[in-house]
Amino acid sequence: MTATATTPTNTPNQWPAFVAVYRLLLRSVATPGRLIAIGALAAVSIFTAVVVHISNPYDSLGAATGYANANLSTLVPVAVLVFGAATLGDLADDGSLVYLWLRPVPARVHVLAAWAATVTICIPIVGAPVILATALIEPDSSLLAGTVVGGLVAISAYSALFVMGGIRFRRALPWGLVYILIWEGFVASAGQTAAKLAIRSYIRSILAEYTGQSIKLAEFTLASGILVPLGVTVVALAYASRRLARTDIA
Amino acid sequence: MTTTLGIAAHTTPIVEVNGVSKWFGDVVSVSDVSFSLGVGVTALLGPNGAGKSTLLRMLCGLTPPDQGTIRVLGADPRTDLPVRGRIGIVPQQEAVFEAFDAFSFVRLAAILNGVSDPDLVARQALATVELDPADRRKITAYSKGMRQRVKVAQALVNDPVLLVLDEPLTGLDPRQRGHMIELFARLGAQGRCVLVSSHVLDEVERFGSRVLVVAQGRLAATGDFRAIRNLMDDRPHQIRVRTDKPRDLAAALLEKGGVLGVRIEAAGPGRPASVVVDTTEAPRFRRTVAVLARDVNATLWEVTPLDDDLESVFRYLVQP
Ligand SMILES: Nc1ncnc2c1ncn2[C@@H]1O[C@H](COP(=O)(O)OP(=O)(O)OP(=O)(O)O)[C@@H](O)[C@H]1O
Ligand SMILES: [Mg+2]
Repeated sequence: MTATATTPTNTPNQWPAFVAVYRLLLRSVATPGRLIAIGALAAVSIFTAVVVHISNPYDSLGAATGYANANLSTLVPVAVLVFGAATLGDLADDGSLVYLWLRPVPARVHVLAAWAATVTICIPIVGAPVILATALIEPDSSLLAGTVVGGLVAISAYSALFVMGGIRFRRALPWGLVYILIWEGFVASAGQTAAKLAIRSYIRSILAEYTGQSIKLAEFTLASGILVPLGVTVVALAYASRRLARTDIA
Repeated sequence: MTTTLGIAAHTTPIVEVNGVSKWFGDVVSVSDVSFSLGVGVTALLGPNGAGKSTLLRMLCGLTPPDQGTIRVLGADPRTDLPVRGRIGIVPQQEAVFEAFDAFSFVRLAAILNGVSDPDLVARQALATVELDPADRRKITAYSKGMRQRVKVAQALVNDPVLLVLDEPLTGLDPRQRGHMIELFARLGAQGRCVLVSSHVLDEVERFGSRVLVVAQGRLAATGDFRAIRNLMDDRPHQIRVRTDKPRDLAAALLEKGGVLGVRIEAAGPGRPASVVVDTTEAPRFRRTVAVLARDVNATLWEVTPLDDDLESVFRYLVQP
């Protein structure tokens, strides 16, 4: 071959592409239906916290820690699933992904933009309500710090997993729900070794470490509670990029 | 948009397709196809399900072939990132980014292609397809024809060397069709390789270009449009004649009608017997059949071609 397009070019600046895709995905994924549905779930969570607060529990720090743990292990991943899987998944389903894919832009730029868009939406729509709900039951500063850190780490890891799921699976939503409710729900309570395979085990370890409260099977140190989910984030995004580069585009 | 692509003197073809096959499960979508394309407009003609879209998607690297190789400017479009920047595609599906207006959509395409002034390029591309860059309605509010033109505009932002359009004329009114066909010709004349698919024979005739005919996944014929049209006209035609005296007319046709063969179809419920004729000269047959019918005193009720639809044309073309 003489004429080839692979002339060594200096790597083009991908920042404008990242910003443009990020803004596109932010807009297209935040549909009124999704915002209302997840907003309603978050409102229920806050309402429940108000009820608990009024009933004035005997061990309010324990109750608040348990409630934060429950929110971070179900409400947060479900919300992240709804938005994260839709970012690139919706485009793959309706056939508009081609308008991102057939450009001189590496797949990882799209994947990172999808992850960033998911995180951007989920922090205000579930992250903030979960912190508020926790504070309503017990405004303990170490508990709130643990909830903020645990929430951010959880949103990061689940966003990466579900952006990947949206690329990997045609029906990412049911798959994601099975993962959250069955896999994580079962595995995380099935014993010490099995618990290593669920994000929520790490998140509750963060809560336990910050508050000093004991949570069942919260066995990890603060460092591994934070670093393992962040490692999962990196690996899931790398796999998603590879997968997107090799997927069939309509 | 004026361009100096610097490819006019290209000696190697822009697109090279070599022994390419692709199947989905048991369905063979594209079967052992080879061709190469240079500068200019080429039409890809084939009936529904012929494998046009699959072939075009492979050309752009959107899906890999199961067998064979595809090269665009010497590179594999599936894996080579820079070569993607030199391809423009108008896909068949209607979906675009629903949250966007036309300008933002085309501008995004320009940004992703790394052009230095995306706003200017987007405005120019929209103007090329006669859309108003200041129209800030969402694309969802657009008519099918307008959407189609937005899709063409986004494919022009990178001055593509290879422009692939999958049935771009669907949904356009005749004036817009004319305008698009002119645009394709202009883009081809500027030194691009423009490949346009269609399942409408008459549409392709207006491209006045080289034609690749695909049917059932195979490359059935290639060449200049007129050559293909002649090939189609010279094929045996089947014509059904309904008459009150099928036997007499059949005998007369065999004797003096200049036909290849005659077959009598028995009468069925609610339908009289008829004569089915094979001929290579359909226009002449139409004249002689009337004369012969008068000679044998038969009444002609109906003379209909059986295979003038495009399907049968392609069926003929792919016969071994
Ligand atoms: N993703 C897919 N999965 C399964 N089968 C497919 C897929 N894509 C195409 N096919 C099959 O391959 C064959 C060719 O399809 P293709 O869409 O390429 O035809 P086409 O010529 O573009 O038809 P049309 O004029 O209807 O657009 C068809 O039989 C189709 O069912
Ligand atoms: Mg098609």
